[in-house]
Amino acid sequence: MTFRADLTAEIPYLRRFARALTGDPALADDLVQDCVERALVKSHLYDPTRPLRAWLYAVLRNIHVSGLRRERRAGIVKTVDDLSDPEVMQRPSQEGETLFLQVTAALDRLPDQQREVVVLVALEEMSYRDVAEITGVPVGTVMSRLSRARSALRELIGEGAKPSLRRVK
Amino acid sequence: MTEPANNSEDWSLHAYADGEIAGQECRALDERLATDPEARAKVEAWRRQKSWLKEAFDPALDETVPPQIKAALRHRRGFSFSPAAIAAALALLLIGGAAGWFGSQQMNPPKAMEFADLAIEAHEIYSRESRHAVEVAANDSEHLTTWLSKRVGQKLVIPDLSARGYSFMGGRLLAAGDQPAAQFMYEDQAKRRITIFLTANAGGRESKFLVVEKQGVTACYWLDGPLGFVIAGETSRDDIVSLAHLVYQSFES
Repeated sequence: MTFRADLTAEIPYLRRFARALTGDPALADDLVQDCVERALVKSHLYDPTRPLRAWLYAVLRNIHVSGLRRERRAGIVKTVDDLSDPEVMQRPSQEGETLFLQVTAALDRLPDQQREVVVLVALEEMSYRDVAEITGVPVGTVMSRLSRARSALRELIGEGAKPSLRRVK
Repeated sequence: MTEPANNSEDWSLHAYADGEIAGQECRALDERLATDPEARAKVEAWRRQKSWLKEAFDPALDETVPPQIKAALRHRRGFSFSPAAIAAALALLLIGGAAGWFGSQQMNPPKAMEFADLAIEAHEIYSRESRHAVEVAANDSEHLTTWLSKRVGQKLVIPDLSARGYSFMGGRLLAAGDQPAAQFMYEDQAKRRITIFLTANAGGRESKFLVVEKQGVTACYWLDGPLGFVIAGETSRDDIVSLAHLVYQSFES
């Protein structure tokens, strides 16, 4: 029972991570739901000496990545219609919404591998070692992806006090 | 992966900005930042990126957890010891036992029950989906019936349940063990969903209507000639049985 309780406590963080990965609150919650289901089935694989959040992020990330692969094989491309049902998304303030859209659009332009690393490090404040475990690559690769992602984000949303999305290329 | 040479220096700046560096090395970088405006600008830009990410996504931390996730957290897999489940299992044993006792040739409960289990599982998984509940939507139902009839190997029809307030949403192909099955989904005004599960009944045997309740889902199932049927929903036994009659009739006609 305690695994379930610990898992419940992690839900807000899983939702934040999934939202940053997908840029779409409804899709993100579908992903969290899948992650919860899988985590409950696979709970025996969790090593309790390691942080639960990192393990859950790995589970969620793997579901997300395999979904992306499937979509690519099937040739599914995100369309405007796919982006959030307005009723599912709880409306933040006008200013918050603009920022959300700008940050999401900038993240959307990063390659998947860079996006997940910068989200895990900067937003989720995971250690490089945890990020390496979650994404299944060496720490050096994490750092080089992080460096690229941050340079790309500087290009994309600028240097000012507020993000301003630029059209690049 | 090749990196420009100056990136190794960059990496220690990243590690510094992310709190991965402590002690002496950290103090050395403090000093470097004090005298190197370019490095300072980088670290500041990264900190701004971080605060934008937080501002954009932190609201997710305070939002109410949606019911679909709460349900997934409550969900038990592989086993169920709720009193209702035990009662249902006992009831089935009694039905099965009675059937054996009367030497009925008509019943094939193990196969039918297997269908019911698969159907309940599929109901639980797909009826919770908000965006991907069905594979082919109701507006393309002609294609849906042709396709699923071909896969299941039997002529299927989409039962009309509107008399009981359920409108047809669409359907999907399922794997029922080693054979294909069809799932049709319906929804009422209160967004309650029921699903019909159809698969080939290889033995061609017939059974009565049987009812099972599992994890809050009530299912009525039966075998009728070439097809096995299961109708499942989070609703009362009476409701499910009367829906089952409608389904039965639409395949009779």
